Amino acid sequence: MRQLLLLALALAGVPVVRAQEPRLEGRLDPATRASVATLLDSARAAGLPTEPIVDKVLEGMTKRASPDRIVAAVRTLATDLGAARATLGPTASDDDVIAGASALRAGASGEMLARIKGVRGKAGLSVPLAVLSDLVARGVPVDTAASVIVHLAQGGASDADYTGLERGVARDIGAGAPPGAAAAIRARIVTTDGRGALTGAPASVPGKGPNASPKTPARP
Amino acid sequence: MHDEQDQLISQVADELRAPVALDPAFDARVMAAVRRAAPGRWRLALRWWTEPRPLRVSPLVGLACAAALAGVVVIGTRAVQPRSAPGTVPVPAAALVASTDAGEVVQFVLVAPQAATVALVGDFNDWDPGRTPLRVTAGGGVWSVNLPLRPGPHQYAFVVDGKEWRPDPAAPRAVTDDFGAPNSVIIVGGKST
Amino acid sequence: MTDRSDAALISQVLNGNAEAYGALVARYRERYARFAVHMLGEREDAEEALQDAFVRAYRSLAQCADPARFDAWLFRILANRCRTAGARRARRARTFIRDEAALGEASAEHPAERREWREEIHRALERLEPDQREAFLLKHVEDLSYEEMSALTGAGISALKMRVKRACERLRVLLGEVQHA
Repeated sequence: MRQLLLLALALAGVPVVRAQEPRLEGRLDPATRASVATLLDSARAAGLPTEPIVDKVLEGMTKRASPDRIVAAVRTLATDLGAARATLGPTASDDDVIAGASALRAGASGEMLARIKGVRGKAGLSVPLAVLSDLVARGVPVDTAASVIVHLAQGGASDADYTGLERGVARDIGAGAPPGAAAAIRARIVTTDGRGALTGAPASVPGKGPNASPKTPARP
Repeated sequence: MHDEQDQLISQVADELRAPVALDPAFDARVMAAVRRAAPGRWRLALRWWTEPRPLRVSPLVGLACAAALAGVVVIGTRAVQPRSAPGTVPVPAAALVASTDAGEVVQFVLVAPQAATVALVGDFNDWDPGRTPLRVTAGGGVWSVNLPLRPGPHQYAFVVDGKEWRPDPAAPRAVTDDFGAPNSVIIVGGKST
Repeated sequence: MTDRSDAALISQVLNGNAEAYGALVARYRERYARFAVHMLGEREDAEEALQDAFVRAYRSLAQCADPARFDAWLFRILANRCRTAGARRARRARTFIRDEAALGEASAEHPAERREWREEIHRALERLEPDQREAFLLKHVEDLSYEEMSALTGAGISALKMRVKRACERLRVLLGEVQHA
């Protein structure tokens, strides 16, 4: 709680202890550097990964964004990271928190994140959540995308299954399928066939295909 | 007088031969239109599924799908070995080359025949255009570089001639765009359990 | 090893692999973008014409008589698209010049002068008759032979030579004044 309070203070612009980030040295004007340093310190204190924040600043600099825009982007990111940490808990890995922040930014809710984590158990979240973000970027409604991710997790899907599904959905969308339907149907194929997503089995129509419930193989 | 006139024309022609920047989304737009014009495997599949039959892929649809998949896979892995033979130009895409203990080695390819330099920037190299230059093949126009990446998602793009931001035409876009210049995403797969 | 020649890619596309067409798009888009931009004077129009040409070429790919000369066949389709587009578009501000300037540095020595010169050339080009502009670009910028130009445009060789000659004369008049100013 205290950590999140510190973060909230930092986001409100209250200065805390400064630390140096060598990659940013000499590349930002003093005011921007101060804002960023404050945010980094608070993120660190709140148990949030700082690498994505530094990365965001570097990205903004390469893109020649204005300092205001960089600081705004970093504040948003820090907020998302904080929200992901709050949802996923203090023991979640940095990678999971980072993936969670992206998923939240893509429109997933805290409940969706919690549900996915609940089903995935100890397995990492970064690939499933990255696939979730990709699906949303392709036009799959976020509710459908989240259901798909959960559904696969319940079937014990591996990271490769997730990326395979994402590729399959991309192809189906390219062939003219509505994104939501493409995602929902592919998910069913992956779990019913085991590894069907990679063999090019044609997509079925919702409600008209075989009504078999998905097998749930033992979780690895 | 004649020489001077020819010189003018030649200067004009030189000026007009300069490369012209295309919208980085150009390829994607063309291919989206091409896919809409393509025979529509989706509709073929739809028709096939509405007829009751045992769970078996019909030969024609399966063949078409397999051919299309093979094409996509081939292009994806052909991007792995750009060759110097003239006219052999793979579709730009980041493609997995090899797995190592440190992560997966991914090859990034960009087709840019008019470029003088191409650099890869991303969350794996601090978005530093000086750090990961691509090399052009002997045939010209095809730029590539291999890079080991940790499993998980990565954002990246290309910087052409030190000034033009170019996302990967064949890769999905990142959902968020904080700075008005979109990034591409590659998800490096973890272990297949 | 897979053959990646135009003919091989076309064969794949005709066998049902639409994705293989992407390699052809990547191969030729830059080369033909230049012609389209100078014919139409506007990058957006040029991209639209180029995209249109690629899609039309895809749709009628089975009618490409010689797949090994896909490039010439595509160029012909593009030239037609440019002629149609040029005939029907309304006059608009020449935004693509500002794009080029925004994209950055001209020659290091005299950047402002170089940009002005380039703009003068584009203005002069626009004042040519479309037939003359097309012939001039094909001959002097794309370096086609008169035979190739004839096959591409359907015009006779002597007519093409006349168009190029007139284009050069007009450009000398329009630009000669600028140069000596």
